[in-house]
Amino acid sequence: MINRFLNHIEEWIIATLMASATVVIFLAVLHRFLSGVPYIQDYAVKLHVSWAQELCIFMFVWMAKFGAAYGVRTGIHVGVDVILRKLTGKSKTALVLFGLLAGATFTVIVGALGSNFVWEMSHTDQTSSDLELPMWIAYLCLPLGSFLMSFRFLQVAVSFFKTGELPHHDHGHVEGLEDVYANDLVAGTPSEAGARK
Amino acid sequence: MNAAIIFGLLILLMLTGMPISISLGLTVLTFLFTMTNVPVESVALKLFTGIEKFEIMAIPFFILAGNFLTHGGVAKRMIRFATSMIGHWHGGLGLAAVMACALFAAISGSSPATVVAIGSVILPAMVKQGFPAKFGAGVVTTSGALGILIPPSIAMVMYSVSTGTSVGSLFIAGVIPGISLAILLGITTWWIARKNNYPRLPKASWGERWTAFRESIWGLLLIVVVMGGIYSGKFTPTEAAAMAAVYAFVVAVFVYKDLPIKRVAKVLLDSASMSAMLLYIITNAMLFSFLMTSEQIPQVMADWMIMQGFGPLVFLLVVNILLLIAGNVMEPSSIILIMAPILFPVAMKLGIDPIHFGILIVVNMEIGMCHPPVGLNLYVASGITKMGITELTVAVWPWLLTMLCFLVVVTYYPPLSTWLPNLLMK
Repeated sequence: MINRFLNHIEEWIIATLMASATVVIFLAVLHRFLSGVPYIQDYAVKLHVSWAQELCIFMFVWMAKFGAAYGVRTGIHVGVDVILRKLTGKSKTALVLFGLLAGATFTVIVGALGSNFVWEMSHTDQTSSDLELPMWIAYLCLPLGSFLMSFRFLQVAVSFFKTGELPHHDHGHVEGLEDVYANDLVAGTPSEAGARK
Repeated sequence: MNAAIIFGLLILLMLTGMPISISLGLTVLTFLFTMTNVPVESVALKLFTGIEKFEIMAIPFFILAGNFLTHGGVAKRMIRFATSMIGHWHGGLGLAAVMACALFAAISGSSPATVVAIGSVILPAMVKQGFPAKFGAGVVTTSGALGILIPPSIAMVMYSVSTGTSVGSLFIAGVIPGISLAILLGITTWWIARKNNYPRLPKASWGERWTAFRESIWGLLLIVVVMGGIYSGKFTPTEAAAMAAVYAFVVAVFVYKDLPIKRVAKVLLDSASMSAMLLYIITNAMLFSFLMTSEQIPQVMADWMIMQGFGPLVFLLVVNILLLIAGNVMEPSSIILIMAPILFPVAMKLGIDPIHFGILIVVNMEIGMCHPPVGLNLYVASGITKMGITELTVAVWPWLLTMLCFLVVVTYYPPLSTWLPNLLMK
């Protein structure tokens, strides 16, 4: 139950951050162009968008931390599997579990370091240069993301131990590309294909 | 000594099959805890500030743009355009596949994405036309690699991030080598097809060509937006990437209407998770290169090389061999992020042009993507054609050989990469 809630919120956060960062930069660029257009420029100049870059960076850093956790769940993180693929049975299980637990350990350490860092930061009044956001809030993604990632590593390890299955991301697969296109194209010459459009 | 421990530990951890990002991070932590007095707190700060640069943010934007384009039927129209232009020569659809890959590479920053976008449309078509499956697979696997040489390119952004070279100059520098390689791959295709007498298409009239061009114009315009924007100084590369993402979204959803609006969320999620994976590697690689610098490993290596009397010629040969070997076990982003910060200072001391060095690395990465065991392009092509990896390996070798020859030219003829950026950017 809690797990499903966590899954949803994770997906929701990273997709939204991706979209908003794109919109923010798009608007900032648009604003710069409008500032050069007569009539509109008087209004455009009054708005300041110097914070757009910083906001975009923060959004993507947050996206990176939570996305990395999501990636553990979907198995997107690439590793060198030349040895793993040669192994079978117990030795393979052991090595995979070692990898997953190492991941959990690393992220827990980073999470702890991050919490400590955020705690110290919250006692200072450092703010970011453009948004004037307290820095400890910006850095909060570090412990949150890392602990979540660690939790995901443990989750994957447990389910691997029980079922022997790992989440696997197929880097070659793209949804929505079916053979339909092929039939459409091969029907012969480009002229036919063009005419059919 | 320290260098040996660091690399030994890193290689050991990587060989267990854990994610590369984790092995990089663990190496750094272990080393810092046990062997030095560097405050570990600085690690936490580095994990945030490592990716706190606006230039890096071009990567998620290019990935998003690329995903909208692969979903959006832009590739299909580009193939039609390419087919109408050169489909009547020897090699027919095969030759058109090379051209379509080059065109798609000019709007996409990733190799596997190019293979997927072009390959999934043209490979089934080629088989239906009577080409042997391995011919088609060979063409698309290798031409798809153009994705990271012809700008925009995610690999180039990675190089720029880890060495501080200008992304804009690298993009411009990729144009001539990219077009040359496309032509060379085209010649290889043409030659094999002529020898075996593979089917050709009837010649398209200029009217048909115009129609095909007009249909693909929305995709082709993106080349103008990205390259024109960066070159004229209207956009920074990151802004250009963001504009490309918005543009690709509009084209896929509203102009070509190939992507239903309800699938947009899925595209966003996929792009976000792919970007997060890359950003996570970057963060940890930054940590690793911080360790390298604080242990002064690149400087020591550079001094040693110069003391041994290694000139640029030998150095570049070693770099090529090293990168080709690394290409056997790792994917390009990780290789660039780990190797570039180490090799770059040495290259600078030997007086090698940073842009030339970058292009050389990118061409090496291209080759690495096309041969086993981890050539991503091969896996993608094998997914589309349902051919085994061994069979595909045999299929790609004529083109791979062409690429290797091209690598030699790129390595020892710097003006190929530096002429255009020097002309335009100075």
